[in-house]
Amino acid sequence: MAQLECVNIGKNFGALAALEGVSFQLHDQEILGLIGPNGAGKTTLFNCIIGLEKPTRGKVMFNGTNITGLKPHRICRLGLVKTSQIMEPFKALTVGENVLVGALYGGMLPMKKAFAETERILDFVGLTPEKDKLSSAISVPARRRLELARALATGAKVLLLDENMAGLNPHEIDDALRLLGKIRDLGKSLIVVEHIMRAVMGISDRIIVLNYGVKIAEGLPKDIATDNTVIEAYFGDKKSFLGRSERQISHG
Amino acid sequence: MDAVLIQSILNGFLLGGVYAAYSAGFSLIFGVMGVVNLAHGELIMLGAFTSYWLFELLGIDPYLSLPFGFVFLFVFGYVIQKFIINRVIELPHIMSYILTFGIHLMVANVALQIWTHDFRSITTSYSGANAAFAGLNIPYSRLSTFVLALIIIALLWLFLERTETGRAIRATAMDKEVARIMGVNIREIYAITFGLGAGVTGLAGASISPFEIISPEMGLQYTISAFCVVVLGGMGYMPGVLWGGFILGIAQSLAVTYLNAGISIAVTFLLLFVMLVVRPTGIVGKGLVA
Amino acid sequence: MNKRFNTFLFAFIGLSCGVIAVLPFVTSSEYTLRVATVIIFWIGMAGCWNITSGYTGYIDFGPVVYFGIGSYATAIAMTKYGISFFPAALLAGLASGLIAFPIGLTTLRLRGAYFAIATFAFAETMKQVVLEFDRTFGVSFFQGSHGITLPIGGHENTFFLYSFGLVTLCIILVQGRIENSKFGYGLKAIHEAEGSAEISGVNTTGVKLQAYMTSAIFLGILGGIQSYWITYITPADVFNVHKTVQMVIMTLLGGMGTFLGPVVGAAFLTLLSEILGTAFVEYYLIMVGAIIIAIILVMPRGIIGTLKEATGIRFF
Repeated sequence: MAQLECVNIGKNFGALAALEGVSFQLHDQEILGLIGPNGAGKTTLFNCIIGLEKPTRGKVMFNGTNITGLKPHRICRLGLVKTSQIMEPFKALTVGENVLVGALYGGMLPMKKAFAETERILDFVGLTPEKDKLSSAISVPARRRLELARALATGAKVLLLDENMAGLNPHEIDDALRLLGKIRDLGKSLIVVEHIMRAVMGISDRIIVLNYGVKIAEGLPKDIATDNTVIEAYFGDKKSFLGRSERQISHG
Repeated sequence: MDAVLIQSILNGFLLGGVYAAYSAGFSLIFGVMGVVNLAHGELIMLGAFTSYWLFELLGIDPYLSLPFGFVFLFVFGYVIQKFIINRVIELPHIMSYILTFGIHLMVANVALQIWTHDFRSITTSYSGANAAFAGLNIPYSRLSTFVLALIIIALLWLFLERTETGRAIRATAMDKEVARIMGVNIREIYAITFGLGAGVTGLAGASISPFEIISPEMGLQYTISAFCVVVLGGMGYMPGVLWGGFILGIAQSLAVTYLNAGISIAVTFLLLFVMLVVRPTGIVGKGLVA
Repeated sequence: MNKRFNTFLFAFIGLSCGVIAVLPFVTSSEYTLRVATVIIFWIGMAGCWNITSGYTGYIDFGPVVYFGIGSYATAIAMTKYGISFFPAALLAGLASGLIAFPIGLTTLRLRGAYFAIATFAFAETMKQVVLEFDRTFGVSFFQGSHGITLPIGGHENTFFLYSFGLVTLCIILVQGRIENSKFGYGLKAIHEAEGSAEISGVNTTGVKLQAYMTSAIFLGILGGIQSYWITYITPADVFNVHKTVQMVIMTLLGGMGTFLGPVVGAAFLTLLSEILGTAFVEYYLIMVGAIIIAIILVMPRGIIGTLKEATGIRFF
């Protein structure tokens, strides 16, 4: 049984079909990459999974339970959490307190245990020195790690990461990739949305490609990299895209 | 159909046009800047008083002194936005409407100090004259104001659609960042928009002075009515003020005719409350939600 | 930080208890007792608004409705049903709490100015209902604009000093418990980023509703005690928007979402209006407007909030 399964998810905003017939599975301890051009519907898909949006059609199954249409906080407590594309920390709270909210409400831990868990997670992501700083006063890579920390504190088994590496330089991306690996080693499963190809290709076990709200490809990273439909989605007609060899494209 | 019913609906219709006119400014300000102007009623009050004093002191007929109402309130609104509200415009919205609430308190109570609680009204040679046909009564002043209201709304619409400044305002409302990149001075546009909204509202206030009771405390009820009209029609959706105006006007008129005057105020509030909870985007569903 | 705050909280409560308890014995001035009672009353009122709006950022412009409901509940219970004061006051809290549940559930779905106006609209509607109810339905219940006169119990100012003191201390205790508790973090998270809070597991509707109802219950009780104190209530008086304005500006001045904010704000403004006297009532509102504008422009966090930010001390 898949840990997370989307069956035929469709989402309309008025007359606009943002998602149409999207189906896929996520398995235990798997890292799934979700890619596609801007506006393909990746964030909408995430929002449908965690309950911020209600799918117009289809259903979301989590460990065999139908979670479609449940409120986000219930889905979070069941074990599914998302990080935001636009980082929204609780600005007036410290780094530690941000993580604490996740532990208290998502993890449903009593105060003392929540504090201990917060310390543990801050150490895990490497944010211990920033613990008492206001979350509005830390660097971009730190804020990204804070998002991860808060997500981890909820005790979720499945993390949906929406462009968690945006704004990072190559060195920081390598650190982030290492951290994702460590998270997977904890027993978590991830769906990673990224535009940085080498990152997502490198870390994912499998890739799913969305374009215009429809799943156009699914498979291993090396296969996706050379898939014509995918290349066309990103670059237009392959022939008309001058100056790039197939090898260049597949290695990002 | 029953003559009383028709008269009531007609009254409500005329009222509705006026409601639309003085709510248009409120909707504009919210649509462009996201500011809920809780001092809105004071703009109407000041517009009405402008007409009143020009009539009392210089004998100018209220329908002739309308432009003064517009100009005075335009300047007033422009200055307030530029020097006060613009300073919090980038902050969370609650700041702006607590701020306008403070402005409401100040303006209403300063006016109260200067002009006292006394109710005032303008009596001209044609006050109380009615047009009558088919057994229906239509006071000339209300009819004129109704026509005026439609003209005001049409002029506002034309300004926004056809002039460069109007286009800049609409661009800012649609996407502030894109407008900024295209060279629009956002803060200046905000000041002009508030001035425009205030001016139109002041104009509307001046236009109701021939038949309304004028006092410094009249503002708050108009703020609530305007809010109701705009929520009914859709916040920030300009054509909606006509919908909202007519619905509120007729609902109130019917309530006054068939229940009592006190209940009609409750009708406004009830309508507002129900709308906000059931369908905050307005009847047509095109309103913005904060 | 938890420990330091708890120490501070209990010290503060203890000190306040002490001061309130001995006040009638160290002063013979009825005027002083009355002023002290009024200050305590407003600390309680502002505190209620702080619980709903200060921490969550949901600006409620209609809290006076629960004050009014409580006033009328107590008045009717005592005059029509012969219920004695204490149960009548508790009934007031119950009535307000019950009404707050559906109202909170519906209005808390709205954001920003919409919430503010919806709550204001509800308060004004309630005022109109109480005013027109008897006349519309041909009954004798609320007495409309005639108002209700409560039985005079022959209590001195001390009785009310202690009554209000007890309720206000409870309100302060609630605010104290909000700071550094799970509930408090939930409220603050909602204020900062409600969407993030929801996906991090915070039941935002439940948390908001809890705060809203708690505040409503206390407002109801305060209304009940006050109606017994002044012995004559009318809709225009107990549902008056000016009371809301007071609550807002006292908390704003003191500092929204802080524990000491309402205390400082209420004390300061009550003393100010006492000093200015009744002759300056009209100027008072102008000043309130000016203070609101000044605070928003210059010191949006209020006195205590700005102090906390400046000193970095976070436990008061």
